[in-house]
Amino acid sequence: MNPVQAVLFIGVVLGLGAYLVAVLDRVFAGAPGGLRSGLMWPIRRTAFLLVQRRSETERPDAEAWALAPALLAALAAVGLTAVPFTPSLAVADVSAGIVLFGAAMIIVMVAVFLQGWSPNSIFPLIAAYRFAAMALSFGIPFSLVVLTTAIPAESLSVGAVVASQEGLWNVVRQPLGLPVYLVTGAAVAFWGPFRIPEGTDLAGGTALEASGPTLAVWRIARAGVLVTLSVMGAAIFLGGHLGPVLPGWAWTSVKSVALLTLFVWSGHAFARMRVERFVWFGWVILLPIALVDVFASGIVAL
Amino acid sequence: MIEVILLISAAIFGVGVYGALSQQSFVMIMMGLELMINATVLAIVAFWWGTTGGDPRGQLLVVVVLAVMAIEAAMGFALVTAVYRVRKADITEKLKRLRN
Amino acid sequence: MSALQTFGIVIFGVGAVVSGWLVFRTDSMVRAAYWLMASFVAVGAILVTLDSQFLGLILILMMAGEMTIMAIFMVMFMMNPAGLNPMVMVHQHRTAIAAGVGSFLLLATVALVADFPADPVPLGADPTAELGFELLGRSMLVFESAGVALLAVMIGAVAVAGKWGRFGDADAGSVEPELEPEEGGS
Repeated sequence: MNPVQAVLFIGVVLGLGAYLVAVLDRVFAGAPGGLRSGLMWPIRRTAFLLVQRRSETERPDAEAWALAPALLAALAAVGLTAVPFTPSLAVADVSAGIVLFGAAMIIVMVAVFLQGWSPNSIFPLIAAYRFAAMALSFGIPFSLVVLTTAIPAESLSVGAVVASQEGLWNVVRQPLGLPVYLVTGAAVAFWGPFRIPEGTDLAGGTALEASGPTLAVWRIARAGVLVTLSVMGAAIFLGGHLGPVLPGWAWTSVKSVALLTLFVWSGHAFARMRVERFVWFGWVILLPIALVDVFASGIVAL
Repeated sequence: MIEVILLISAAIFGVGVYGALSQQSFVMIMMGLELMINATVLAIVAFWWGTTGGDPRGQLLVVVVLAVMAIEAAMGFALVTAVYRVRKADITEKLKRLRN
Repeated sequence: MSALQTFGIVIFGVGAVVSGWLVFRTDSMVRAAYWLMASFVAVGAILVTLDSQFLGLILILMMAGEMTIMAIFMVMFMMNPAGLNPMVMVHQHRTAIAAGVGSFLLLATVALVADFPADPVPLGADPTAELGFELLGRSMLVFESAGVALLAVMIGAVAVAGKWGRFGDADAGSVEPELEPEEGGS
């Protein structure tokens, strides 16, 4: 795939995914007007934000503030490049693809910290610290369950991980993997019960001072991270493009949309967690489960 | 090509030396040290790539250096916390002993 | 080595040096930490170009976490973390510049004068897999020692940073530093 095609492809996938996230979110929220108004809502909202006048704060770190949403969008795109959508269609199925994805998702912490730090405003700043505490708690279990899928494949390439699930999907072979991935994944995108840095108790947190086009980019980028997590989750746990009858890209889409729906639904099914409870949850519950997952997968592989 | 990479590495190392020697703040000194380690990693990989014929022990050395970097960071943060408890500041001036 | 690779190495190399330099030129502690991260990301990109994808990406992954922690520590401990006022906190400035330039010149001379054997990574090799076999085969002892050392450091760091020490409270008798510059500083 040449670079221009690759950029277009990733952009289209992220754009469609972000649109779907917004529509699903609207529908699950039970907004008036049902599906019909839901389908129009992301377009209306984006159009409004694009013409909205930007609000300003006193002495912000302007460069970092402009950079943070762009960085978040770029990280979603980078994570997506490693995934093969069909056996032959991947932007860059590199030999350490899973590490690439892990690195991109860890740097989300940097984007959120900058977004909270740079407006020079108190609630976003608290939100940034909360996300740093969260990220240190979910980072290790997240990386562990993602890397564990490489054990049966004997390779860090995402293509090889998908190919290794020909007979048996990782969701069955590593039963602890997908649940931990879903929980920590929602935390990576600070979505659902883990929307701690954007909680209403902080009046919107990291997004409080953002407005206009930057807020639009921030929202789209955050949805894009969720899309990347869904596509990657479908690839490493649900067999990606493998499946009978339908072509590969259709299976990838069906599985990714299923995971995406689950992520978005969790935002309306569970109450937001407090940050200190999340830190406890991450270190005391998720980390041991992830370690058991690693050791069990290792024993099975031997 | 290896000369170019080594020059880049030397420049990063020089900046790191300047930072580690000139800064008063503990954490800024650590940043200088980290830059030096950064340069070291680059130089090791350059040598591994250009002169060893792909011997994996070159990469192993980088893994060890990364562990050293993590150790340096952990001990550095512990020391800066300890110093702050005593001095209420994280600067190194007039700091002569670790035991108060 | 293709022209694109050479171009990438030069661009990322200049980026790594410049962002490393900016670490000590900015007043904002968060910016300093993330400039340092930018320097590491650039070096990681060079490593990826030099056939060691795994090490490059691991370097970036490690640094993202470490630099955020570093930024938080700086904000906790520095007097002017946000860089809203210009600030110079340096000592022995001339010596430091001389030492920096000197070490650069020394290393640069070595890089340019020395005659390195040319024995590049063979085409078609898989360095990631080779590193894995090396780590868990011949050099397992080295790898495990690094792990044990990290565990020891975790315990040691908690002991050093703890408030309760052998000689009583660590912050007993501590005083705020004077706002006047101390003698001998810069």
